[in-house]
Amino acid sequence: MAIKYIKEPELINPVMIASWPGIGNVGMIAVDMLRRVMRAEMMAFIEPQEFFYPKRVIIRSGELVELEFPSSEFYFVRNERHDLIFFVGEEQPAEGGGVYATGSKAYSMANLVLDAAQKCGCRRVYTSGAAVAPMHHTARSRVWAVPNSAGLLSEFKSYDNTVLMSDVEGRGGEGNITGLNGLLLGIARRRGLEAVCVMGEIPVYLQGFPFPYPKGSKSVLEVLAAALGMWIDMERMDRMAQDSENELTGLYNKLPPEIKERLDRLKHTTVAAPESMEAITDDDKRKILEDVDKFFRRESGGEQH
Amino acid sequence: MSSEPVFRLQGGHKLAKPTLIVAWAEDASDVGVRTVDYLIEGLGCREFGEILPEGFFPMAGVNVVNDVAQFPESKFYISDESNLVIFRSNIPRTGWHGFLNAVLDVAGHDCNVSEIYTLGAMISPAAHTVPRLLISIVNRQEIKEDLEPYNVMTGTDYETPPGQKPTLSSYLIWLAKQREIRGVNLWVPVPFYLVSIDDPRACKRLVYFFNSKFDLGLDFTKLDGEITQQNNKIARFFERSPEIEAFVRRLEAGDGLDGEESEKLAREMAEALT
Repeated sequence: MAIKYIKEPELINPVMIASWPGIGNVGMIAVDMLRRVMRAEMMAFIEPQEFFYPKRVIIRSGELVELEFPSSEFYFVRNERHDLIFFVGEEQPAEGGGVYATGSKAYSMANLVLDAAQKCGCRRVYTSGAAVAPMHHTARSRVWAVPNSAGLLSEFKSYDNTVLMSDVEGRGGEGNITGLNGLLLGIARRRGLEAVCVMGEIPVYLQGFPFPYPKGSKSVLEVLAAALGMWIDMERMDRMAQDSENELTGLYNKLPPEIKERLDRLKHTTVAAPESMEAITDDDKRKILEDVDKFFRRESGGEQH
Repeated sequence: MSSEPVFRLQGGHKLAKPTLIVAWAEDASDVGVRTVDYLIEGLGCREFGEILPEGFFPMAGVNVVNDVAQFPESKFYISDESNLVIFRSNIPRTGWHGFLNAVLDVAGHDCNVSEIYTLGAMISPAAHTVPRLLISIVNRQEIKEDLEPYNVMTGTDYETPPGQKPTLSSYLIWLAKQREIRGVNLWVPVPFYLVSIDDPRACKRLVYFFNSKFDLGLDFTKLDGEITQQNNKIARFFERSPEIEAFVRRLEAGDGLDGEESEKLAREMAEALT
């Protein structure tokens, strides 16, 4: 298990931004978009064999010519205020076939990522993902920020469209962050390294489906831009978010009226003043998920066969 | 990762650059393990060692199959006379890289094997009466020439489709290539309606290959008997069920069955033959 360095640049005041696949690929899309827009260069990769099962074999004329593994790559780019390091993991190293990182492999992976961060002189690491929220897909996703030290709370509270766990309805400042996005915060804290997870909201009824949710990613990117003190060209991100909303609205319009009616109530749900609206109850949430699940399974089944 | 040894070997051997044959349990028709069981019995192989299960299989209890508690096994057998090593194993559930490297450690360091063959079945839409092909995937181009005299297909093009994963056998010969060990995956097509039952024809195709390639002098009487027995059972079943016979005749003629027909054929054949 090792990091292989292709380049070892001298970086000034660098910050690391890490992402893995997750619900709606919210974090992954945001970080990958930023990496591409900034034309970051590949710097290093983590040797995959100890962490992952191969993802693809290529056989040509009876000869096994290639076996590909999920990638875990570091990129860097020089930038005005902070140089940036991106870590993009194609899969989370899960033991037992899950999607989210678990077990000793996850711990090793998180430590390797932080080894690279510290070797390059990073003093802060961002992870990014999705926050499942009782919201409607036509609403703007807010960003839930969870830092690994209390000293960072005021900074993140000051950013536009950003909430802390204590601002979220019924949470009382508590919750959990699944997989490497969370694990990295904890291990960074043990190492005395600042780390913050920024999570873009995704509607509760989309959490179980393999749709990307770039509207959540756009919000994450906006908060990252503010935290890094930089301007980011959002044109492509805006386009992706709009296309996604149009597609979802197309599907939404095909929903049976009784499901749509339940989902429409989410348009009025806000964290700031839930009591002022017709609140969504836990029973409503469960019913919505069951109905939408049934509907989308029927839809996708129809397309596949 | 644990630094404890992951395999245990027993006794010495007189092997000189032997060939390793690898079979995984839980394959279609259990073709691989049935083939190596035939070789182990026919060649009088002795147990040589094992890869220990910890770290590769869940140790949270046992599965019960046909009323019997199961436990994963990953064992090596050798035949000094035939210069063969056989590895018969359940498929590890985790730690694949470490597991396959342990196989190669035993193969390379302890047995000095020169080449590895893995056995497996692929599901075929063809009828059981169609002669079984043998398809190879090699980890070095030059191995193909060695296989040609044995009527093995060597020209496959393939890429893992989205949503699927490569086989453990592919992974093994890819790792073997990095250690400069020649590797071959052998695949036998098994009719879809025999996947949950035996396919002695598929086993015979593999046994026949090894018998020819390594001049093993094996007796095929038992396998031939199993094929005859299955033929008789199928013939009796056809007498009782002309519809199923018609399905098989259509497959023989190269006509496909629809989903419902295929499901019925597989279900009723499994009931009739088990």
